[in-house]
Amino acid sequence: MKRIKNTIFFIIILLSVSPIINAQTVEDIIAKHIKAHGGEKNWEAIESMNIKGKFTAFSIEKDFFSIKTQNGSYYSERHLGKHYVKEAFNGKTGWTIDPWQEILFPRDLNKTEINVFCQKAEFFTPFYKYKEKGHKVELLGEQKEEGVDVYLIKLTRANGNIEKWFLNSKTYLEFKYESLWVDFAFPSPGQSFFDDFRTINGVVIPFYVERTFSQRSRIKQIESIEFNTQIDESLFEIAKSKEIKKLAFLYGNWDVKVEVWTGRGGWYPLGSTVSNIKFEATNMLQEKINYDRIMPQAKIINYSYNSSTKKYRLAVFNNFSSTIEVFEGNFDGNDFFADNVSISYGEAESKTVFSQISISEIESNSFIMEIKQSKDGGKTWNASDKFSYKKKE
Amino acid sequence: MKYIHKPNYYFLFITISINMKKKMQHLFLSGLLLFGLINLGFSQTENPESWIQFRGHYRAGLSTDKIAQTDWLTKKPELIWKKEIGSGFSELIISDGIIYTMESEQIDSVTGSEFLIAFDDATGKELWKTKVDSLFIDIDGWGNGPRATPTIDQNNIYSFSGNGKLTAHSKKKGKILWQVDFVKEFGSTCPRWGFSSSPLLVDDVLVMEVGGTEERAFMAFNKKNGQIIWSKAKGDASYNSPLLATIEGQQQIIFANRNILYSFNSKGDTLWTYKMPFAAPMAMPVLIEPNKLFVSAIRPTGYFVVEIKNNVATKVLNGGNMQNDFNSCSYYNGHLYGFHVAALRCISVETGETKWTKRGYGKGSLILVDDKLLVLSDKGKLILVEAKPDAFEEKGFIQTISGKSWTAPSFYNGKIYVRNLTEMACYKLN
Repeated sequence: MKRIKNTIFFIIILLSVSPIINAQTVEDIIAKHIKAHGGEKNWEAIESMNIKGKFTAFSIEKDFFSIKTQNGSYYSERHLGKHYVKEAFNGKTGWTIDPWQEILFPRDLNKTEINVFCQKAEFFTPFYKYKEKGHKVELLGEQKEEGVDVYLIKLTRANGNIEKWFLNSKTYLEFKYESLWVDFAFPSPGQSFFDDFRTINGVVIPFYVERTFSQRSRIKQIESIEFNTQIDESLFEIAKSKEIKKLAFLYGNWDVKVEVWTGRGGWYPLGSTVSNIKFEATNMLQEKINYDRIMPQAKIINYSYNSSTKKYRLAVFNNFSSTIEVFEGNFDGNDFFADNVSISYGEAESKTVFSQISISEIESNSFIMEIKQSKDGGKTWNASDKFSYKKKE
Repeated sequence: MKYIHKPNYYFLFITISINMKKKMQHLFLSGLLLFGLINLGFSQTENPESWIQFRGHYRAGLSTDKIAQTDWLTKKPELIWKKEIGSGFSELIISDGIIYTMESEQIDSVTGSEFLIAFDDATGKELWKTKVDSLFIDIDGWGNGPRATPTIDQNNIYSFSGNGKLTAHSKKKGKILWQVDFVKEFGSTCPRWGFSSSPLLVDDVLVMEVGGTEERAFMAFNKKNGQIIWSKAKGDASYNSPLLATIEGQQQIIFANRNILYSFNSKGDTLWTYKMPFAAPMAMPVLIEPNKLFVSAIRPTGYFVVEIKNNVATKVLNGGNMQNDFNSCSYYNGHLYGFHVAALRCISVETGETKWTKRGYGKGSLILVDDKLLVLSDKGKLILVEAKPDAFEEKGFIQTISGKSWTAPSFYNGKIYVRNLTEMACYKLN
């Protein structure tokens, strides 16, 4: 009887400690998760992935492609409803062309978007070398999620953002994760679901990813993946806006001859100077030029394109007089004209003399810029200043 | 076709059962429950043989008909016909062998027309079409053309265009009998995605969400001549359609507008109002017999259920686990089936518990036929699913139409009808 009692006691003790024996640490789970994805060794052999497939947004399915690199770069082009969206990320910063935001040129990402692009750029799982990346993990427990048994892991990324990852407790592959996503550049809680895991070149990749955030639903279905293809690194650099690219002939270092129109009717040389014009932003060229015109003139001219008015805009800051003048105009491919006749802002309100800037005689290594003035509201223009640009050797 | 007014069996039961002995009560209870189940307790004036308005019978997205072919894994339903249709989101309504719906034709990027159109149910052949308005053009690119679903009675059809014209047509070739322009006559502002609220017939009165100025959010029109019978409340034109329900023995017209849930009787008297935890739900309120209403929106606050007692609405349940976008849930046996954002889901209306979730159908739609769900994915895949809370169980699928499919299917006489912006199709299920 005593032996039976002891046996029962032993079984009870064994049963009571078995969950402790079976309990897995977060490290165990992550190790199995990496193994389920094909193992570290196979992933280390992959430098880049060129991914093609179908992307569904607003219930419309269209082709997409994206590029991911081991070092955290990401590039993608896809249809989003009626618009075509491009996005790029170099691991730290990135840019997008998203016409839904009524900006048709590449723009820098905001902080919320950078967080999301970090997630989009994830090579396969944030748990891969998570310590090296500076992430922290914590096992929150086991639970059922939409009928699936999962381990719930809290991931605190190096940037401080927190995500909840739900790993299938049978396969150790990700079932879903919850994170802060982005909707029209604003933060929005999101959920990402993973399915259709396939083995390709020894690594396991979800070919179906569904994301929901606010009322949106996006589905990515991968059709093909090419590994270690040649990647054009320039893709990750912010592109210039299409319109500002048309002014690329201004780019460079220039020798500039400065002349003024005399009352007797002729150009009088004031001497020469230098000008430096460079792309300062995706939609802006900036010129810096100093010259003497009785008084010293130190000008910074920003050339940009205003997509709402569909006009080029020049903002001329004179460092000597501390004034700003704004001009708007057009470029037909041969000649550029901009004036401040219809510009309305503080200093321009009481203006009686208007100015016009024109650029003409454009060659590969030279162009002429002229300034004219009008005292009749832009009906007639009189010559004032002339700048002959010649590219420095 | 005959329209029958059904008495409210629940109240009849309560009254009679009080006066009966226990045994008799049990017998009577069983009989009535069976009868009630067959009739699903709805007390509205429709012939269940037809699908005559938005969301079909009782605007509940259900048919009490049966599906004979319940295994699509081994045998797919037979295609009867498939054809092209002009852009529009209106459901297909069917009565006496004729399909009525709305569509559009675009001439250039800014002009076109909207039509009421009729097809032969057996062949899909176009019978006639009548121009009702200029084309509503969706600036976001979701799809041009009409949004609302027409409603029909014995002789006429009532359509509502994307630009806000309510039109009465004769069933004979769609001849226009009268027309009211909500923008011109009531100062309504066209919602960003077009006028979308489907006309509701209450006896001889056509009830509409108008969104007009000067307390003309909701209006009732004489269906014979379009004359105004009553107008009520302040509110904008939204994307929600009114529900007609019998609660506590009285006919109630339910509107969800801005952040208020309204109940009016057929004379336009306000019975009760309830402040909702969200604004502008697009999915229709769903009646949970005998006296509860479920309302859901695609917001984190999700849904709420109110119980109506003595014309007072009291919240009895709420949760974020069912967030309907533009398509509504169907209720069956204590559970709601619908799309939580873009996942098909079943929840209990008693506890709010999620019973199951199935992904992969996008922002689809569904109807309930007998004890089966006919689920249309947002890409035109039609899936047969058991309407049961235990687990998701698919009984097969067919790819019916291709492309974005946001319009819910219709069911009539053993056949399922689907449409999207470019195609429509009919499949035989019995």
